[in-house]
Amino acid sequence: MADNAVNVTLTIDGVPVTVPKGTLLVEAAKTVKQEIPVYCYHPKLGPAGLCRVCLVDIEGMPKLQIACNTPAADGMVVHTRNDKVDAGRAMILELLLVNHPLDCPICDKGGECDLQDYAMAYGRGSSDLVDPKTRKPKGVDLGPTIVLDEERCVVCQRCVRFDDIIADERQLVLKDRGVRDIIATSTGDPYRHNFTGNVTELCPVGALTSKTYRFKSRPWDLQRTQTTCTQCAVGCQMFSDVRYGVPLRTMSVEHDAISDGWLCDRGRYNIGFYDSAERIVQPLYRRNGTFVQIGWDDAFTLWGKALREALRARGPEAVGAIGGGRLTNEEAYLLQHLTRAVGSANLDWRAGLARQATPGAKGGTLAALDRAQAIVTIGEPLRERAPVLWLRILKAVRRGARLIAAATPAEAAAQCAGLAPIALVWDGVDPALGAAYDGAFAGFAEVATFIASEQGNARGAEAMGMLPAFGPGYAAVAPGRGTRAMLEDARAGRLRVLSILGANPAAYAPNAAAEALDALEFTVVSELFMTETAARATLVLPARGPLEKSGTTLNLTGDLLPLHASLQAPEGTLADLEMLIGLAQQLDVELPSAEDLERAVIAHAAKLPTGFGLGDARFDDGPSVAPPPHVHRTIFDGAGTAAHDPRLTSLRALEVGV
Amino acid sequence: MRKRLYNVGAILKGLSITFGFMFRKRPTIEYPSVKKQHAPRFHGLHELRRYGDGKERCIGCELCSSACPANAITVIGAENAPDDRKSPGERHAARYEIDELRCIFCGMCEEACPTDAIVLTPRFEMADYRRGSFIYAKDRLLVPPDAGVGEAPDERPGGIPGDLGRVAEIKSTTDVARGFSATHRGEILKTQRRGLAG
Repeated sequence: MADNAVNVTLTIDGVPVTVPKGTLLVEAAKTVKQEIPVYCYHPKLGPAGLCRVCLVDIEGMPKLQIACNTPAADGMVVHTRNDKVDAGRAMILELLLVNHPLDCPICDKGGECDLQDYAMAYGRGSSDLVDPKTRKPKGVDLGPTIVLDEERCVVCQRCVRFDDIIADERQLVLKDRGVRDIIATSTGDPYRHNFTGNVTELCPVGALTSKTYRFKSRPWDLQRTQTTCTQCAVGCQMFSDVRYGVPLRTMSVEHDAISDGWLCDRGRYNIGFYDSAERIVQPLYRRNGTFVQIGWDDAFTLWGKALREALRARGPEAVGAIGGGRLTNEEAYLLQHLTRAVGSANLDWRAGLARQATPGAKGGTLAALDRAQAIVTIGEPLRERAPVLWLRILKAVRRGARLIAAATPAEAAAQCAGLAPIALVWDGVDPALGAAYDGAFAGFAEVATFIASEQGNARGAEAMGMLPAFGPGYAAVAPGRGTRAMLEDARAGRLRVLSILGANPAAYAPNAAAEALDALEFTVVSELFMTETAARATLVLPARGPLEKSGTTLNLTGDLLPLHASLQAPEGTLADLEMLIGLAQQLDVELPSAEDLERAVIAHAAKLPTGFGLGDARFDDGPSVAPPPHVHRTIFDGAGTAAHDPRLTSLRALEVGV
Repeated sequence: MRKRLYNVGAILKGLSITFGFMFRKRPTIEYPSVKKQHAPRFHGLHELRRYGDGKERCIGCELCSSACPANAITVIGAENAPDDRKSPGERHAARYEIDELRCIFCGMCEEACPTDAIVLTPRFEMADYRRGSFIYAKDRLLVPPDAGVGEAPDERPGGIPGDLGRVAEIKSTTDVARGFSATHRGEILKTQRRGLAG
C-alpha cells in the first residue's frame, strides 16, 4: 500500500516509518511507540503550537521543531530523544513551571497530571528562578460545575478550543495577555453548558477541576470500573471511580465508536443520588392508606398472590407490566418472559414521551452518521436529549455535512436533494411525524435513521420484546395492550394488577395516570425513590441503580454494551432481575438459566428489525400528551434521579430555576 | 575429698559473677513509676502538628497514607470554608485516622509529609483494652491549639512551609520535658531533604 502520492516515508529514532502525507510528527511517532510530550496538542482538538514541549530534532533543520505542528515529509530524519531535545524540553518545562505554584499535594490532578509526569520525565528537577512567582487567584468559581485555579494553568487553551470546536459553545476565552493571561468566559457569566465537565479531563494540569470531586480523593485511591452510562440512549462508555463505596466521579473512556471520548454533564455528574438518604431501602406495603415496611419474603408472597388471584378471577388480560428504560436487557427479557408465560400480552416499556426507540429497517450506525452529507433532526433538540450524539453531529457538520431542521418533511427532503448519504435523527415522540419523514425520504438512496430516545435502554427493551405488538427479537405477536391502553383499562376496571419496574408514568400524565393507578387493585413499583408513581403503589420494591448492577444495554444504534457494577448497593435493595426471579418462584414459572438468558439476549440484541420504519403503526398507541413543565426538559433532570442528588443542586438551580 | 574441694572453688567462682552484678548499675527500671528515656529518633505514637497560630499543618494531601506500607492511615480531604479555615490554603483533612495496631512505626508518613504535620513522638504507652481504641482520629492526634510551632505560610499555597525540616527540632511539643533536646533528628531530616533536593 506504499503509494508514494499519498504516503511519505521518514525515519523516527532510526526506525523507518510510512505514514499518510500530512500526518503530524506527533502522530507519526506513535506508530513507532515513541511518546512525545504534549500539552496543547490533542488528537481531537488538533495542534495549536502553544506549549512548545513537543520539541524534536529534525536533521537539516538548525533549530528544534514542534512535533505537533510539523507534518511528516519524505526523507525526514527525526530524533525524539537526544541531548539537544532533552535540553530543549527541560528548558520549556522550566519556563512552564516558572509561575506554577507546585501545590501538587493539594491539587486534584496530582497523580494523574501531565505536568507532573513530564516534569519528572523531562524536567531538570530544579529552577534558576530566584524572583517570587506571579500570583493569581485560586479556587475561582467558573460556573456551577468547574473550579479554576489560575496559577496552575499552562495556557494550552485546550478548554477554549474544546468550547469552540467540539461543543460549539464559545464561552471560554483566554483573557488578558502575557503573564496575566487567565481562562474566563467571554461575557463574565458563569460557564455552563451541557459538556463543561469535559474540560476537566482535557486540562493537562490541575487548573480546571470539578466542583463535585474537589478535594474528595486522590486518583490512586479510586477503584475504577468501566461501565455504560444509562442516562440517555447514546450509551457512552465511562469509568466509574468509587472510593469507600461512594461514587466520586465518572471519567470518559476513549471509545471513538460510541462517545468519541466525551461525556455530557448529566452522565458525568448525576451520580450523587446513590447514597441519598431518601432512597427506599426496604419493601413498602400500603396498609390502610399508609406504607409499612415489610420483608422481601412477604413482598414476593403478596405480589405473587395478587397476580395469581387476578389471573384466576379475571384471566390474563387483568395483569400487565411496564418495564422502563432503567431495566437491563436481561431484566427486560425476563419481565416479558414472565408476563407472557402467564398468558398476558400487556407489556410496554414506554412510560414517557417516547413512542419508538428502534429505527427499524434503515437504522444506521454511528459510523454512518460520521459519513452523512446531510443530517436532518426531527423533533426536540438533541443537545438536551442525547448530548453526546449532538457532539457527533457537530463533528459531522465541521466536516462539511449540512444540518437541517426543517419545518416540514417535504421541505427537509427538498433541502437534501442531491446529497447522500443522509441521516435522519428523530426523537421518537410523534409517530405521525416519524412516518411522514420516513415517507418523504423513501426515494433517497442512502438514508440512515436514528432515534434518540429519552431513556437509557429503550432500544434494549424493544429488542427484548417489551412491546405489546413485538416479542423478543421484534417477532410480531398478537398485540396486547400498551402503557396508555393499560392505564385506560385500569380506569375502566379491566386491569387489576400492574407491575411497573423502573418507570414513572405518573410524572408524564399526572392526572390520568394517578386516576388509573388509584383504580388498580394492586400496583407494584420498583424504584430507587418515592416517585409520583411509587407514591400511588400498593407495593414499592427498593431497586438498584445502574452503577449497582451488572448486565447489558443496547444503545440507540443497537450496540450491545456492558454494565458492570461498581457500587455496593444498600442493604435491603434488590436488582430488578432478582425481583423477577423471586416472582417467578411465586408463580411457578420456569425462567431460562443464566447461560440461556445470556444467549437469548445476545441473539435478540443482534437481530436487526427490517419489518418497519420510523413511526410504524404498530408502535402507535395514541397521540402524545404534553408533559407537565420540567419533566425531562432539562439536562440536569436526569431520569428523575437528579432531584435526589445534592451535588447537582446548584446545576439544577441554574437550569430549571428550582 | 580433693575432688570435692575443687568443686567448691568452681562454685565460688561462679557465684562471684552472680554477686558481682549486685554492685553494678541496674539495667532494669521500675516501670511504670520510672520511665525509660527513649532516643530522640524513637518511633512512637503519632502526633499531628499545628502552626504557631493554631492552624493545622495537615492539608489532607494523603501522601502519608500513600507512603504507609501498612495501610494504616486514612485521610479524607475537604475544602476549607472561607470563614472557618482549618489549615492554610484551600484544603484540610476532614478525617485523619491512624490504626496504631496496623502501624509498624516505620516513619514513612513523616518522611512523606510535605508540611511536617505528622510526626512520630517518643510516646510508646498505647495499651488499651479494646481494638477500636487503637484507631486514633484527629481528636487524639492533633496537638492542642496552643501547642503549635512554626510560622504558617500565607493563606494561599497549600504547599510547602518555610520551616520545613526545622519543626522536627522541637519534636514532640506535648512531651518536650523528656530530657532530650531532639535537635538531632531535625538535623538529620534537613540533611536528608537537602540531599534529595540537590
